[in-house]
Amino acid sequence: MITLTHVSKEFKLTKKSRNEMGDAFRNAKTITAVDDVGFQCPPGSVFGLLGPNGAGKTTTLRMVATMLKPTSGNITVSGFDTQTHPQKVREKIGFMTGQTALYDRLTPNEMVQYIADLQGMGVNEFKSRRDQLFDVLDMHDFANRRIARLSTGMKQKTSIARTIIHNPDVVIFDEPTAGLDVMTSRRIIELIRTCREEGKTILFSTHRMEEIKLLCDDIAIIHQGRLFFSGTLETFESQMTYDNFEDEFIHMTEEAS
Amino acid sequence: MNQFITIFKKELKDILRDRRTIIMMIIVPMVVTPMLIVGVMKIQRAQIEKAKAKEIRVAFLGKENASQLYQIFEEGEKIVLIDNFPEDSIAAGIESEEIDGAVIVRSDFHTNIESDHQGNIEIYFKSSDAYGSAIKRMADLIDSYNEQIVEERVARLGLDKDLFDAVAIVENDVSSVQERIGKIAGGYLPYMFIIFSFMGTMYPGIDLGAGEKERGTLETLLSSPANRLQIVLGKLGVVSLSGIITALIAILGIYVAIQMIEDIPADMLAVIMDMLGFKIIVTILTLVIPIAIFFAATILSISIYAKSFKEAQSIIGPANMIIIIPVIIGLLPGIELDAITALVPILNVSLASKDLLAGTINPLHLVEVYLSLFFLAGVAVWGCVRWFNREETLFRT
Repeated sequence: MITLTHVSKEFKLTKKSRNEMGDAFRNAKTITAVDDVGFQCPPGSVFGLLGPNGAGKTTTLRMVATMLKPTSGNITVSGFDTQTHPQKVREKIGFMTGQTALYDRLTPNEMVQYIADLQGMGVNEFKSRRDQLFDVLDMHDFANRRIARLSTGMKQKTSIARTIIHNPDVVIFDEPTAGLDVMTSRRIIELIRTCREEGKTILFSTHRMEEIKLLCDDIAIIHQGRLFFSGTLETFESQMTYDNFEDEFIHMTEEAS
Repeated sequence: MNQFITIFKKELKDILRDRRTIIMMIIVPMVVTPMLIVGVMKIQRAQIEKAKAKEIRVAFLGKENASQLYQIFEEGEKIVLIDNFPEDSIAAGIESEEIDGAVIVRSDFHTNIESDHQGNIEIYFKSSDAYGSAIKRMADLIDSYNEQIVEERVARLGLDKDLFDAVAIVENDVSSVQERIGKIAGGYLPYMFIIFSFMGTMYPGIDLGAGEKERGTLETLLSSPANRLQIVLGKLGVVSLSGIITALIAILGIYVAIQMIEDIPADMLAVIMDMLGFKIIVTILTLVIPIAIFFAATILSISIYAKSFKEAQSIIGPANMIIIIPVIIGLLPGIELDAITALVPILNVSLASKDLLAGTINPLHLVEVYLSLFFLAGVAVWGCVRWFNREETLFRT
């Protein structure tokens, strides 16, 4: 379970970024990236965080993963507060982005072992979990090859394995399919489904409408740091004024701007 | 603690598989440095030999005024004399390498010498010539001519030659061979290992900071149970170790180079080998450790601030110059280790190493150097940890 309550995040503005951002920010000292956002992601379901680029999705996910501290509000992950028990939170999560985020000079085997060691997994527990994942993902053939020499697909499989090697309760996906081909995207979608079937809490950010429809049970729509909708996908669809999801989303964001 | 060890082990494995690090850490100090030292010495020696063996062309004007000198020049080895060279073309002739030098003996020379006065001989040469071979050889011949005249005059007047050399200096240098070598060459050893320890920390430092950002692996690491302190210390440990190993290999490289230089006299070689003994090297390495930690923490701080490998390189590259300045100052004569210089980072390592090698180190100054270095390393590590905890640094856009 992930719970966000009145979460806001402000970033200090440097002189350079003030100049780059134009007149509206000429005298501003901070910028609000996330503004009073609250939602709940229950276990065994996929929660989609939807919004255009720069909406505040990544900042929200980074706060959930304890990489950033909220300026105000609270976040709990599996019952642990991200600010008072960040380490406990990190033991519960797996974090995956669109980048494969791997070390080129390690092998897939070493890569997953590194994460398992950081997570404090025992040797036997690690070996059985690794073998199970390598079986499912068909990774045995390249498990001991340097990651730099692997194909994109192989790297993506390795990235999946390292995200869930410690069998986390919560898996956070930050635009995991961005820039990927159809086949690789499909593999990620399958992973998300498997995680749901296993009863994990899944927080998933995207700006692809079709993925939301394909995967999500609940959604939150975020734009310019503010929350515009939070509820089940069914509720959202029932409130739509346009025929399709994409038009509705564009309408919402344009109205907000 | 476990996470620190995990990160340390992984980072070590990672950088040891990086070709750039290996080249900088092992190949350059172990192979390139000795080759460079030995190569430069060999080339220099070959050039001196070549200059000695070279035939020089000397325009001799006024041979009728100093026939004896002309004869000495004629008998001189590898000298070709040119008579009747136009005086107003001498400078141009040397410039165009038609001649290497010129000797002019004026008409009053003979009279002056005959009347026991001083006679002037003008010589022309180009001091920027390789190893100044022309001037040296002409001057040597004129010197021997001078000797002849003086001896002749002394004999004629029935005087003792000592009358003119009233005082003879008998030099008694109380410094040991070790001190002399230590003071002269001692400065170059710290120069090598300070620079190498910096170079050894450079690539791993950039790779483990900016490289991590570039690969997108920083988020993976930050979302793991390891806390920021463990992450920084794990990385710092590896970067510092790389600097220390590089410095150690650089010293080993110098060892190899010394063995490869052929014409070091045996007694001098024995002193050098004694100077580079286990105890002194270990003491010097204890100076390298805090310096390497300081370099590692500084480079890692810059590297984690940079958005990319390239940006980190462009900031850290010029820092090389900042390191070299105090090292060069340490090489200057007259700059000694005292209560004040012992507090100046890098310069103090350079000066202390020089004194250690010469065997003239003041223990109090050495303690001061250690305190200064460990304080500096501590501040750099503290700064690096704080820097790593800043969201603005880690997620700089």
